[in-house]
Amino acid sequence: MGVIDLDRLVVQLGGRTVLDGLEGELRGQAIGLLGPNGAGKSTLINTLLGFHTPSSGGARVLGLDAKRERMSIRQSVGYMPENDSFIGNMNGVHFVRYMAELSGLPPAEALERAHEALFFVGLGEVRYRLISTYSLGMKQLIKLAQALAHGPRLLILDEPTNGLDPTARQRMIQLIKDIRKQGSTHLLISSHLLRDIDETCDEVLILNKGRVAAISNIEEERRSHRNFIELEMAGNTEGFTQKMRALGCECASFAGGRVKLVMTDELQVRDVYTAAAEFDAQIRRIQQRRDSLEDIFMRAVEYEGSRAEHVSLPS
Amino acid sequence: MSVFHHEYRAYTGRVTPLWTRPLVLARYGLAEVWSSKIATGLAILSLLPSIVFLVIIYLADNPIARAIIARDSNILTINEAFFLRVLETQCWLALVLAAWIAPRLISFDLADSALPIVLSHPISRFGYILGKFLALILSLSYITWIPCLALFLYQCYSSPQPWAAKHFSIGMGLFAGALLWITLLSLLGLAVSSWVKWRVVATGAIFAVVFVPAGIGGIASAILRTRWGLLLNMPVVMTEIWQRLLGAPAFGNPRLQLPSSAMAVVLVFAGLIFAAMLNARIRAREVVRG
Repeated sequence: MGVIDLDRLVVQLGGRTVLDGLEGELRGQAIGLLGPNGAGKSTLINTLLGFHTPSSGGARVLGLDAKRERMSIRQSVGYMPENDSFIGNMNGVHFVRYMAELSGLPPAEALERAHEALFFVGLGEVRYRLISTYSLGMKQLIKLAQALAHGPRLLILDEPTNGLDPTARQRMIQLIKDIRKQGSTHLLISSHLLRDIDETCDEVLILNKGRVAAISNIEEERRSHRNFIELEMAGNTEGFTQKMRALGCECASFAGGRVKLVMTDELQVRDVYTAAAEFDAQIRRIQQRRDSLEDIFMRAVEYEGSRAEHVSLPS
Repeated sequence: MSVFHHEYRAYTGRVTPLWTRPLVLARYGLAEVWSSKIATGLAILSLLPSIVFLVIIYLADNPIARAIIARDSNILTINEAFFLRVLETQCWLALVLAAWIAPRLISFDLADSALPIVLSHPISRFGYILGKFLALILSLSYITWIPCLALFLYQCYSSPQPWAAKHFSIGMGLFAGALLWITLLSLLGLAVSSWVKWRVVATGAIFAVVFVPAGIGGIASAILRTRWGLLLNMPVVMTEIWQRLLGAPAFGNPRLQLPSSAMAVVLVFAGLIFAAMLNARIRAREVVRG
């Protein structure tokens, strides 16, 4: 059972097909949801929460059917919406306690958890202030606190770093990493910022025009392409490349002494230096390059019409 | 998650049953309503007529007071007409209170777009409206059927025994009439508040929904020389319903009396419109067509 299972999910809203046959299984501890504007990210989240009803197909969240078991899903999920969503004339503790009670916590436990959640997100000192007086960053954090207070099994964060300054963004990213590290909560993070997803997620679902453009395990992608090296060299580059080929590497030489290597799993960077020294070749610059999330995203979005597939490195 | 360690920990404790979640909304709604000094002031003022009626009942059941004040007149007669006046007074005061407190229950949620967060918790849209409805109906009960029945019980206690047995239907009529009115008022208040974000405007709109159709109905009745325009006049419709529930004597032109079935249809129709307004507005997400 995956965290989220999509079974030919179609959602039509206002006469338009917004999600068109989504299919796939997401199992990661922290799942990133990427896609250009209008790709259907928010619609997918709303459908998982039961706000929209699938036109056909279905989706399961933590093994629960998104159409028939929406209350059970909401019981197990904490949701932090993208836009401002709070009750401005309540103070922080009152609001988070209210939301925790709505999730089923008894009043005393809800109050205790509200205090804990507010301290956890860093709003402990301002928890008795009216939310309407909070800054934008604080409003983001109070949304996170209310999503956490009832101890959800899945935390859905819609653009969690939206509008935050660099310090507040870093704080939010660190909080997400802390929650992930604790291990009892899965995360589904929708963001426009690839860097946010790259830093926090281990799996990514890329949507484009309402379809699954790619489902990619970021960790596996990184592991499988860790030995991709670019060099700028001087001296006997010919002998160096022959030596590297003999060691099993894929090797390509370009003008200006530029060399690209795809290393085997057995070889280390140290072996590159040893081979260069052996043939009296100078290494002027070395860059161990990974296939970035941006590469994966761009390829997935550019390749229209593709269905769920695992994106591979460019050759 | 701990206050001192600032760590996240999952919750493993007891969870309340799903059916109790609207009660959470009702409890927080009541707290919100009665945090307003104006609401408290209005509620206290609304009870002043009940004190006056209480004094009248006391005097009516006191032979010396009757001899001094009323002598042979009917001023201190406690009957269906007296309790109709009690019910009318309290119910129209309930309109004023409802116009103030109903927007407080909904507008704060709408002003800050709280619905996506509230409805992402295990509570349905119906449960949300039910919770707010309960908060409003409980608040209005405090100045409608509770004081009305208290006065009725006091009259039963202080009058000779045969009065209570003979006029038991007044008690039932008071309860049914007040409950019908506050149910309608609660739906009206929530429906209008869900469409108007600004509380003061929403308060005015609630009065407008009651009195503007009454004016239009009056004009239509006068021009077309028909009684059916009175169906748009909520004060007239409700007064006739209360009069019939209490068994009080009819007043006004008998030819302008409205059939009970027509009034029932109007009330059901109004209730359906309010429910449709709430259904259209109380949503976590709005769908833009096209």
